[in-house]
Amino acid sequence: MIECSSVYKRYKSGTNALYDINLDIDQGEFVYVIGPTGAGKSTLIKLLDGEETPTKGLVKVAGIDVGKLKRRQIPLYRRNIGVVFQDYKLLATKTVAENIAYALEVINVKKPQIDKRVKELLEILNIPEIKDAFPDNISGGQQQRVAIARAMANRPKVLIADEPTGNLDLNMSMEVMDSLERINAKYGTTIVMVTHDVGIVNRRRKRTLVLEHGHIVADLLDGGYVTHDI
Amino acid sequence: MIFRSIREGLRGFTRHFGMSASSILIVSITLIILSVFMIFSYHLERFTRHFESTMEISVQIDYDYEDEDSEAILRKQIEAIEGVKKITFYTKEEEMEFYMNTIEDEREKEIYEPFENNMNPMHDSFYIETDTGSQIEQVANEIRKLEGIYKVEYGGENTMNAVSMMMNVRRGTLIVVIVMIIMAIFLIRTTIRQTISSRVDEMRIMQDVGASNRFIRAPFVWEGVIIGLLGAIVPIALTIYAYISYYKGTGGKVLAGLFTLVSPSPFLFYICGIVLFIGVLVGFVGSWTSVTGFLRARR
Repeated sequence: MIECSSVYKRYKSGTNALYDINLDIDQGEFVYVIGPTGAGKSTLIKLLDGEETPTKGLVKVAGIDVGKLKRRQIPLYRRNIGVVFQDYKLLATKTVAENIAYALEVINVKKPQIDKRVKELLEILNIPEIKDAFPDNISGGQQQRVAIARAMANRPKVLIADEPTGNLDLNMSMEVMDSLERINAKYGTTIVMVTHDVGIVNRRRKRTLVLEHGHIVADLLDGGYVTHDI
Repeated sequence: MIFRSIREGLRGFTRHFGMSASSILIVSITLIILSVFMIFSYHLERFTRHFESTMEISVQIDYDYEDEDSEAILRKQIEAIEGVKKITFYTKEEEMEFYMNTIEDEREKEIYEPFENNMNPMHDSFYIETDTGSQIEQVANEIRKLEGIYKVEYGGENTMNAVSMMMNVRRGTLIVVIVMIIMAIFLIRTTIRQTISSRVDEMRIMQDVGASNRFIRAPFVWEGVIIGLLGAIVPIALTIYAYISYYKGTGGKVLAGLFTLVSPSPFLFYICGIVLFIGVLVGFVGSWTSVTGFLRARR
């Protein structure tokens, strides 16, 4: 589902963000990407969602050579990719249901289909009771689950979660992890989760990629306790 | 989708009403000047064309060259000048007759009668029409260089100077209009940028979930178009009111009948159509460039 082959990224400022990244992630895999600040995690995400192009090498997602996409092709490509951020990025003026529906409205999905999909996602993420609430009136964990629901509204093949538990306490983090795992199991969505949270990585063992100074220094297929200082 | 875009465009318009109002104001002022400019230009053009079509060059032949051979040579030389359309020859007797016919006072006529015979002071003359009015001066100058020419004149030099001055005024006004259109576009860009900055999160989310650039851009473009449309209302109303009032007040004749005004219909229809089009175009360009700049900033 995700293939990176000899990927290098050097920004115009001269910063070398990634060196010789090679990785293969299969459909349905749930992968952590960990590493210290400046390791190249954000750059990797930007390459996957098409925001940046590799300086050298191949980035393929769902069979699409992301580096070769033209600007006008990016919106269509992004419908295959769901993105979740640490700060949720919900619209404060819209209710939970409206926030989820918004992702479908902007790609011109018909109203009955939107209603059906929103209902389904609210149930999968265990938040049907807050569908009419506004983001400011619900907990951080709930907000992140709404963000996951919105990211999943298009039924993307890949979900990229950038520090989804970064602002949450342990209990809420576990709620969010449960949600991601449910999505992964139910839809077979490939999930790439960037995190600093060693606790989660150790508790919920999954394949773990360790990035340092732009290099993949470890690819722990069975996860496990990470000893690196991140 | 179109209704959503218009609704969102209206929302953006009301959200920054102060900026929107100042944009409308500058668009209105620009369009008023544009409207006056177009009406003035059209009439000036029309007048110039009409005036030029009635002008001809009068060439008086020197007494020493008033023989058939010399006049035939002169005719050939004049015919060879670029821009000469038609040459008509009149003898000095015919010239005198024309002149006498212009005198209405019988006593004055009597004074000139002795000149009709041997003392005729008139010259044999050529009257020359040119292909276009703008060639008159150049053709006249070429004729002046020929041997055997006593005097070259063309009527309305003062009028031509006045027209030339008005043409310069028109050029100056055109520059003002262009500068103001650019200013209006920039002001609309600034207004739209304010809307963009207040909706930047929403736009990022739209990009993240795969909304097309067209979808993201549409509400902002509508906002710009609404500003342009509203900016065109006052100039259109003012143009219609002022022109019709002036037309009725003067009976369509200005400067002692020198200028005739074009009938308001369908003339005003075209002028107002152009004003509306330019207003919408200014709004469209201002908002389009503004939102495209934002969308280009991120792949």
